[in-house]
Amino acid sequence: STLPAVAEELLREIKKAFQESSHVPDDLLLGLKFIFGPSAVPALDLVDQRSVTRVRSPSGRILYQVLGSSGKLYTCYSSCHFCTCPAFGFSVLQKSESLLCKHILAVYLSQALGACQELAVSEEQLTNILLAEEEDEG
Amino acid sequence: LCRGGLAERLCRLQNRERSAISFWRHQCISDDKTPSDKSGVLIVKVLEIFEECTIQVAICQQLELQSPVMLSHEDAVISAEEPILKVLFTRETAAHLKSRPQDVIHIYPPWQKLLLQNADVPVIMNTYFSQKVLLSEHSEAREKTYGLTKMLIRKNIISLAQTFRLDDLDDKLHQEPSDNQVACAPQIPNKGDSKQHPLALSAVNDSLLEMVESQGAVGWREVQVRVVIQRVYCLPAREGYRSHTQGNKPLCATPVTNSDPPNVRLCLLVQDAYGMFSEVQLQSLSSTDGIELYCRRWEGKSCCLAGMKILQRTTRGRALGLFSLIDSLWPPVVPLKVPGQSQDSEMMTTNLPPPSFCYILTVQSGEIHVEVDEEEQISNLYQPPAVHGLKEILQIDGCNKRCSFWAQVLYRRLQTKHSVPIDQRDILLFVTDSTLQNVVHGIPRVVAVSVTALCVLSMEIGEALSAGSRLVFFKDALWGNGRIICVERTVLLLQKPLLCSAAGADLSELTGPVRLDELDSTTQANSICALRGTVVGVNESTAFSWPTCDRCGNGKLELCPQDRELLYCNQCSEVVTTPVLKMQLEVFLSCPSRSQSTVKVKVWHEISVALFVLFTMLLFLQTYEVQSVLGKEVGLLNCYVHSITSHPNCVVLEEIVLL
Repeated sequence: STLPAVAEELLREIKKAFQESSHVPDDLLLGLKFIFGPSAVPALDLVDQRSVTRVRSPSGRILYQVLGSSGKLYTCYSSCHFCTCPAFGFSVLQKSESLLCKHILAVYLSQALGACQELAVSEEQLTNILLAEEEDEG
Repeated sequence: LCRGGLAERLCRLQNRERSAISFWRHQCISDDKTPSDKSGVLIVKVLEIFEECTIQVAICQQLELQSPVMLSHEDAVISAEEPILKVLFTRETAAHLKSRPQDVIHIYPPWQKLLLQNADVPVIMNTYFSQKVLLSEHSEAREKTYGLTKMLIRKNIISLAQTFRLDDLDDKLHQEPSDNQVACAPQIPNKGDSKQHPLALSAVNDSLLEMVESQGAVGWREVQVRVVIQRVYCLPAREGYRSHTQGNKPLCATPVTNSDPPNVRLCLLVQDAYGMFSEVQLQSLSSTDGIELYCRRWEGKSCCLAGMKILQRTTRGRALGLFSLIDSLWPPVVPLKVPGQSQDSEMMTTNLPPPSFCYILTVQSGEIHVEVDEEEQISNLYQPPAVHGLKEILQIDGCNKRCSFWAQVLYRRLQTKHSVPIDQRDILLFVTDSTLQNVVHGIPRVVAVSVTALCVLSMEIGEALSAGSRLVFFKDALWGNGRIICVERTVLLLQKPLLCSAAGADLSELTGPVRLDELDSTTQANSICALRGTVVGVNESTAFSWPTCDRCGNGKLELCPQDRELLYCNQCSEVVTTPVLKMQLEVFLSCPSRSQSTVKVKVWHEISVALFVLFTMLLFLQTYEVQSVLGKEVGLLNCYVHSITSHPNCVVLEEIVLL
């Protein structure tokens, strides 16, 4: 498959450009739009609003929580592409129309731009966050 | 959308792009021929098509590229014959093109080329301005028939397990979280002497930015960065520079830094091989002793940082003090590495703009990973403080410039605002050096240096300043608006630093006695000067005398509770057996150097108790009768100027004793 490698390289370029000049050039932003389509602008908006939090536990487990525009908190995994938002379930899982939802894209962009908020929690708290998602869907 | 944010920017760019696309398409249709501008057009022949998500991927053979060539240097790697490209089209463009294998597509700029890390085939993106070119009449007919039959295009399903790695570090660090090692027990800091690494630390990196970016990612704690320590200083802790004042400490000449533990943190200003700066806040110090030692041992040396936590990313506009120090270290004295290129490639120094942002790092509590190579020699990147004479500094153009100098401290004055606790008050130091003393005219002989409460003074300095006139090295003081001030990150040292670039002769030695400027029309308030004149009046109501403690100078002695004949000093907590008698008198002088002003001087004298008896006799007999004082010539007095007013034209001074 081609697209994931392209997306990854684009995100790396963004990170590199930002590191060198604290600025993301226009052509990379347009590249985001080209690859990710309608998710690009909402994802950038989430980054602008510092909506992404990296949650880590002492053992090194990580997950991401993204504060959506509706005020709802979505959880994104770090070990695979997964998000608890409905758009992910529909566009990515069901229709395979998108690589990512806007929340996962926001996670990557926040990583690239150093815009992640950090939260350290205990093992128990992290487990609860993961289990809580299951309960909601169940 | 956030104003000025990335989303807003992309929106604007996208709108512009959409307009350009629709205009271009319209132009293609209306002209019914290909657009005239042929430069930068990529011509490809489609070999194979498949879909991934909504992007259509076309494996193509590049036919030619019309000039002017917009190639990057990587293009040289692609073989001239049959170069293969992966061209991506959005769903909309693909629907418009209706490409099939063997079709020839013209892709007009602006298109983008992306080179993937582990692949030879370059990827072409932003292909909005694409057009299918029909080569012959047969094709046109074929095109019409094809339009009726739907072509089946393979669709690749992308695995969710394929995540994106944004780091450039070795793959061995990209492990699943469950494989990650649990961090070891906290290390006790050992002033950098210990060379043991209980943590499995990764290879040493030389980029601070990489370390910052790897925060939170798997293996971030093990990332080590090698940096050069440019400056060592103390900062007051964020909670405020508090001390524990007890009871009613009298407000008099106590040592500036009292014995209570100050709340300060040892900090390093470090720079990496790419020129980026970072301020690293280390542990809180229980006492300010040893700052001088840290400076001597650590400045200029390389060190390895690991397990740092980002406290803040600050910018020039928000941290003027920090950036004035960074500016004094810019431009760098050796070529810097350029990110993204191999070590051997050309380095850059010329015309680099000074940094606009800086990360403030701190150590994880309990774990300190700052290993200083004290035995190693001074790094080439290190810029020692540039020492100048005070005369040169007074002539510096500009504001907020850091400067370093040696000076003799002549007099010390504590700010008298009673609402502020003693140890948070500004101190005014009057200093001079040979460059000021040896001038004839136009430049003051003595300069006032204001030491704010934010400048952390070590115990040694405090004691030295109380004891007597001392040569002090002011490192990284701030010059601006005609004043020298010592703020955060300024360090006062007693010993000459090992390395400093001095401009010219040794400025520390003063030949001959110190001279102050004489009182004249240019004298300002809060300065010191010398004056001479004739006594023209005495303010009798202000004349009085009082005993002071001979050990600490405390002027508020009390009667001893046990024996009411004796005096007690509650600062020293001891009986004062031989108090020093201070006498104070205000006299009005007529000074020829400033004849228009009324000059009022508070003069005072100290005499030991042994002479007290004799003097009392003299008092009653003669000397302080107003008549006998009038007309008396007062010799060169050293004074502190309290205030100068123009209406009425009056100068109020106080006689002082230089250190």
